[in-house]
Amino acid sequence: MPDVAVPNAAAPAEWGRVRPGRRAADRVLRAFSVCVSAIGVLALGSILGMLLFRGLSALGPGVFTTVTPGPGSQDGGLANAIAGSLVLTAIGIAVATPIGLLAGTYLAEYGRGSRLAVSIRFVNDVLLSAPSILIGLFVYTLMVAPFGTYSGWAGGAALAIIAIPVIVRTTEDMLSLVPATLREAGAALGAPPSRVITLVTWRAARAGIVTGIVLATARIAGETAPLLFTALNNNFWFAGNLVGGVSNLPVTIYQFALSPYGNWQELAWAGALLITAAVLILSVVARHVIRKDAVR
Amino acid sequence: MSAIATSEKVMAHHEAGRARISHGGFDRAFRAASLGCALLVLLVLVGILGATLWGGWPAFREFGILGFITGTRWNVGAEQFGAWPAIAGTLASAAIALVAGVPISLGISVFLTQLARGWMRRPIATAVELLAAVPSIIYGMWGLFVFAPLVAAFVQVPLNAVVEGLPLVGTLLYSRVPSGTGIFTAGIILALMIIPFIASVTRDMLDQIPPVLRESAFGIGCTTWEVVRHVLLPHAGVSIIGAVMLGLGRALGETMAVTFVIGNANRLSPSIFDPGSTIASRIANEFNEAAGLQLSALSALGCILFLVTFAVLILARLLIARVKRI
Amino acid sequence: MSAGLATPVPSGRAADESAPSRIAVRRLDFYYGDAHALKGIELDFRDRHVTALIGPSGCGKSTLLRCFNRIYSLYPDQRATGEINIDGRNILSDDVDVNELRARIGMVFQKPTPFPMSIYDNVAFGMRLNERLSRADTDARVESALRKAALWDEVKDKLARSGTGLSGGQQQRLCIARAVAQNPEVILFDEPTSALDPISTGKIEELIEQLRSEFTIAIVTHNMQQAARISQYTAFMYLGEVVEFGPTGGIFMNPAKKQTHDYVTGRFG
Repeated sequence: MPDVAVPNAAAPAEWGRVRPGRRAADRVLRAFSVCVSAIGVLALGSILGMLLFRGLSALGPGVFTTVTPGPGSQDGGLANAIAGSLVLTAIGIAVATPIGLLAGTYLAEYGRGSRLAVSIRFVNDVLLSAPSILIGLFVYTLMVAPFGTYSGWAGGAALAIIAIPVIVRTTEDMLSLVPATLREAGAALGAPPSRVITLVTWRAARAGIVTGIVLATARIAGETAPLLFTALNNNFWFAGNLVGGVSNLPVTIYQFALSPYGNWQELAWAGALLITAAVLILSVVARHVIRKDAVR
Repeated sequence: MSAIATSEKVMAHHEAGRARISHGGFDRAFRAASLGCALLVLLVLVGILGATLWGGWPAFREFGILGFITGTRWNVGAEQFGAWPAIAGTLASAAIALVAGVPISLGISVFLTQLARGWMRRPIATAVELLAAVPSIIYGMWGLFVFAPLVAAFVQVPLNAVVEGLPLVGTLLYSRVPSGTGIFTAGIILALMIIPFIASVTRDMLDQIPPVLRESAFGIGCTTWEVVRHVLLPHAGVSIIGAVMLGLGRALGETMAVTFVIGNANRLSPSIFDPGSTIASRIANEFNEAAGLQLSALSALGCILFLVTFAVLILARLLIARVKRI
Repeated sequence: MSAGLATPVPSGRAADESAPSRIAVRRLDFYYGDAHALKGIELDFRDRHVTALIGPSGCGKSTLLRCFNRIYSLYPDQRATGEINIDGRNILSDDVDVNELRARIGMVFQKPTPFPMSIYDNVAFGMRLNERLSRADTDARVESALRKAALWDEVKDKLARSGTGLSGGQQQRLCIARAVAQNPEVILFDEPTSALDPISTGKIEELIEQLRSEFTIAIVTHNMQQAARISQYTAFMYLGEVVEFGPTGGIFMNPAKKQTHDYVTGRFG
């Protein structure tokens, strides 16, 4: 089709006017970005490698069946610490879930745009990254000092306070994604707000809310600092009413890893492997749920 | 499908005339419960401040607020408590964390948003996010058993040979006992821990920039570096500072990882390679065995930590929120 | 789209058949992953003429434009094969430095894209990348670019203010000034007025008409009257192919192909 004269006709300017310094700067940036990303991956690899290397060799059936050894005694396991951690985490999530769910619902459904909701959302975001040791101090003042004894309830409460902001945030985010037309449709049928929320919006956002709860579980399962002065730790089975120290995995790891005894250190590695595996699996599961939800 | 279920239920209630009244009751109760739970969140914040202030009051009264903050001696036997060594350790380790962590975080987010090809993006992004999920006590163990020996062998010993006897750097960088633990190691571990946060917020910010802005910068003939430096970073600017502050807030309050590697010395040393302590590590170490004025001094430390971290976190959230609204 | 055939106002200067070709496209194919988006494109863009690319959404007109400065290469799954000769050099070949190519080919996007910096710095941005200029030279170039973009009088007193504070039409002219300041050989416009009000659109059209005396211009537009008003050559594209190409008057008044006729009279698209 084209029948036009030589493309060369208009005298073109010389090529090659890009300053070499620009290319060099660009290469430096690229090399730097690649290197630091490699550092990130290597760090994770090194941490996981260390855990597998030292944790797997320490992990035997005895870890799950015997209680933590006292100073100077041989062998021993982590049975009481594992059970204690499960109990504390369960209490934390059981307390945090209804509170977080309702608070998130208030922010997304009732308070939308109000001054109060804006400030609560802001405080919640700040609490998301609050130092967990301060939450330990707070619960100590509230639940340990007045009763004169450490307890599993105090430990569970401290974990709940850490979990609540996570659940509030995800619940609110997920509820805000529910299209307004769905709420309107519910309301148009004459359902009062509470019914629309519990029967329609919560259901529509279910997957996301569950993800938030899983993420919160992952977050508190490995928390150590807030348990130091709430649940404490010991080498025995804890009492059924959870009063007195409740043994738990993170604090056990902390104490055993820094101890001079060989069997304690071994157990610390085994515990570290268990807890990291649990936390990472929970995180991966949560991410998977989010992705599937996003695809839908 | 759930809409049908809803309508049936609502209709059923409608027909039974009295059901409306119980409806109203539930409605009010539900709303009140939601509001109550939301207010609980505010209460926690007030409670933390109240608890640490109340617990720390005797120490503040004994030494004076300013006297407590600037006091350099922490001597349990003599009932003499000054916060400065812990405050200085907290600030120094957080500063090291930022100096090391921020460039790395920016590099990772640039790599993930600008350079990585499809197939490598996902695994690297996942690895970085999993780094954020690893419990801090694991970082502590890794720092103590893997990283600290490396620091001792490859940083402290060679550095000692170079700087010994020199003015200024001879004090600042000389380690009396090259054991690997100390403020420097704590700072690097903290850097590793805050990288995932800063990198992921920065990555989100860079991803949110409209592609056409990026294209038009490339369209002028910019290299990747120039696009990042002149267009993307300034565009995301304030919120990246917010992300950095968020990381700083975490670094200031981190407890377990630091407790493992900082060496837990009560005295303030001029060298960043010597053992020290942070507010959080001091509390974690001493709280359970403390009584009387020491307990109060630790609470007072907690109060200072509260005020500092929350100021930083509030600033961080404000900076991030400001940009999101635009 | 309203009927385009009506009576398009012929543009200021008629097509000059003797003008040399600045951009010669030969056997150009383009792929988004596996999707074959452009098929065997052959086109010539004449020196100091405005060539309009029209066609229904998804016909490949923007894709074609994005080949000329290889902006598509930002996305790993997009690729082009064939030749695009600009002043006799095939810019699709690997030895062409894309940064330099893009400095020589200005591009203006659908939405205004001022950078987060002052008006002055926006205009000076591109030329500073490659040239070391004295302050006075930079000032002169910035002023001349802003004058060419018909923006100078509106912003000369607030050059230090942020470019993002201007109105939409002004922002778009700022982007044109930014492109012009690099002394490009070709300027590409990708639906430059689709986000603007009618008055701003009129100004941009006038501006393109003036720029034609210095630059070779390719413009993608959705608006057929606009193509008729400002271009001397028009290519009608459909499903990734060039259906008809010729002087604008001919395409609109007397199209050779039925598809073209249907489109310019508003029967489809």
